[in-house]
Amino acid sequence: MAPQTPAVVMDNGTGYTKLGFAGNDSPSFVFPTAIATKGPSAGGAGGGSGSGRPAVANKPSFLTGGAGPTGHLSAKRGTEDLDFFIGDEALNAAAGPGYGLHYPIRHGQIENWDQMERFWSNSIFKYLRVEPEDHYFLLTEPPLNPPENRENTAEIMFESFNCAGLYIAVQAVLALAASWTSSKVQDRSLTGTVIDSGEGVTHVIPVAEGYVIGSSIKSIPIAGRDITYFVQSLLRDRGEPDSSLKTAERIKEEFCYVCPDIVKEFARFDREPDDRFKKYQMQQPGGRSVTVDVGYERFLAPEIFFNPEIYSSDFLTPLPNIVDTVIQTSPIDVRRGLYKNIVLSGGSTLYKDFGRRLQRDIRHLVDARIKASETRAGNAAKSGGLDVQVISHKRQRHGPWFGGSLLGQTPEFRSYCHTKAEYDEIGPSIVRRFALLGGPGST
Amino acid sequence: MPAYHSVFLDRPNPQVIGAITLPHSRTTSNALAASCPRTRGPAPTLPPLPPDVAELTIDDSHESYDPLDEILALFRANTFFRNFEIKGPADRVLIYGILFVSEALGKIKPGMGRRDAEKAVMNTALDTNFAIPGDASFPLNQAFEPPRDRNEAEVLRQYIQQMRQELAMRLLNRVYADGNTPSKWWLSFTKRKFMGKTL
Repeated sequence: MAPQTPAVVMDNGTGYTKLGFAGNDSPSFVFPTAIATKGPSAGGAGGGSGSGRPAVANKPSFLTGGAGPTGHLSAKRGTEDLDFFIGDEALNAAAGPGYGLHYPIRHGQIENWDQMERFWSNSIFKYLRVEPEDHYFLLTEPPLNPPENRENTAEIMFESFNCAGLYIAVQAVLALAASWTSSKVQDRSLTGTVIDSGEGVTHVIPVAEGYVIGSSIKSIPIAGRDITYFVQSLLRDRGEPDSSLKTAERIKEEFCYVCPDIVKEFARFDREPDDRFKKYQMQQPGGRSVTVDVGYERFLAPEIFFNPEIYSSDFLTPLPNIVDTVIQTSPIDVRRGLYKNIVLSGGSTLYKDFGRRLQRDIRHLVDARIKASETRAGNAAKSGGLDVQVISHKRQRHGPWFGGSLLGQTPEFRSYCHTKAEYDEIGPSIVRRFALLGGPGST
Repeated sequence: MPAYHSVFLDRPNPQVIGAITLPHSRTTSNALAASCPRTRGPAPTLPPLPPDVAELTIDDSHESYDPLDEILALFRANTFFRNFEIKGPADRVLIYGILFVSEALGKIKPGMGRRDAEKAVMNTALDTNFAIPGDASFPLNQAFEPPRDRNEAEVLRQYIQQMRQELAMRLLNRVYADGNTPSKWWLSFTKRKFMGKTL
């Protein structure tokens, strides 16, 4: 058996990639899932292969080592294929001439495997600086990821990188595991509703005993980017000296919070102006320092989760109603568990009191329904009530990564992985199934 | 949670004309009010504010709380909403009030002194040539009902006139709460349109 090296945990999201080692508190690297290659940017969806050359193998030849040629890659390799940057370096490179910026992951799923492979190779060798054959890898995937994508991933991880072992976990399940650090969680169950809100989209994912209830997943087209845009539009309405996206983003991250009621909050701003209105200092590119006033956007911006109407004209359902619908469309025997364990994950759930407001609003919906059904029953049957609990915890921002770190450090993690030897024996189809990590029977 | 409704929906209403209520209201006692005697109108008067309650912080359960306080309190929140389900006559007062506040706010330009703003806003408020429910130029005729006869129309017109002036004055008090420059926090709402409509 290989010496006990920590497992590598890689969480590749649409916006950011989180890299680190199992057992750590936070990822060692967090950077945009972006890659800059020679040639113009692909612009729209999909990507494509830069300067018109065919999508060829773009990994250094020493990587393939003994693994031999991989199926989907033809052999032609030039040194220009080594000329690329990932993460923040990619953003910098793309700002200059000669490089085009690509985002290999769209909507949580890998769209461009060639770029993703190069992205991974840099992640492993340039950032983490590990030998893949000495480490087990824990990767994440979005819910409803097709098995073919898993096979592709395994092919790259085993054949290109020759990694020792691989486990692919669903992000939502890892987010549930991450919530075990909260004091509110008594039993470490893998049943719960995960609200995962990142930069591009918000998902509400019911998970029963470690398995995602795929038919009930709902997604909401409102997430971090929309909040930024809304802050920006409010700044512009007021004619602030700087209303760039960057300023809006900083204001969003630094000042925003969720209020119980917007009319009362407006009144509070009238009563305590000194306490509520803030100022944001920023340096403009010219070196000038500009002060931007921060006002009502502090509570109005996150309000678009609870009142989408104030921001969008085509999507009007509030987040609490979506969560309620998701749970109501799940099998009846797990609903109680889903209401009791609503777990937040992702950067856009970090606003102060987000969990409290969500819990209150969902509870109102549930109580109203119970009351209505009691009335319909002629008050003959009394309900014992339903416990609604929203869990916010300290690891929310990188929830899935932290969950992976938690599960990847357990002694039995390696027995759940598929090893290189097993892969060589059976082939890529082996990764269609994984035993449930952290499920019943494990610690 | 949709847009905010009037708390006056479930209070007994003195009179309903054109499907809007003519609720009680109090008049602002300041110099400006004295200079335009027409703030008097058909609305039954409420007791004036006791000295310990400020106009800005009045609570909606206070006996002197009137629909105009409510309009100004809900204005900023409700202008973000495009859809509004009308639940009763009091909501129509709210709609009209919010739309008028929008209009009045549009007259105040950034950097305008209080005196100029007063002139511009009171011009609009005192203009007797405004549309009332039932007129062809009234933008919300689907939601409102025309008054039944000339008599009712006259009372309604007077009431709305009174409401416009009173609202204009209270709005000015809020926009110019701290000195001779208009509050930019209020002016940022000029571009938003409640229910996508303007008067």
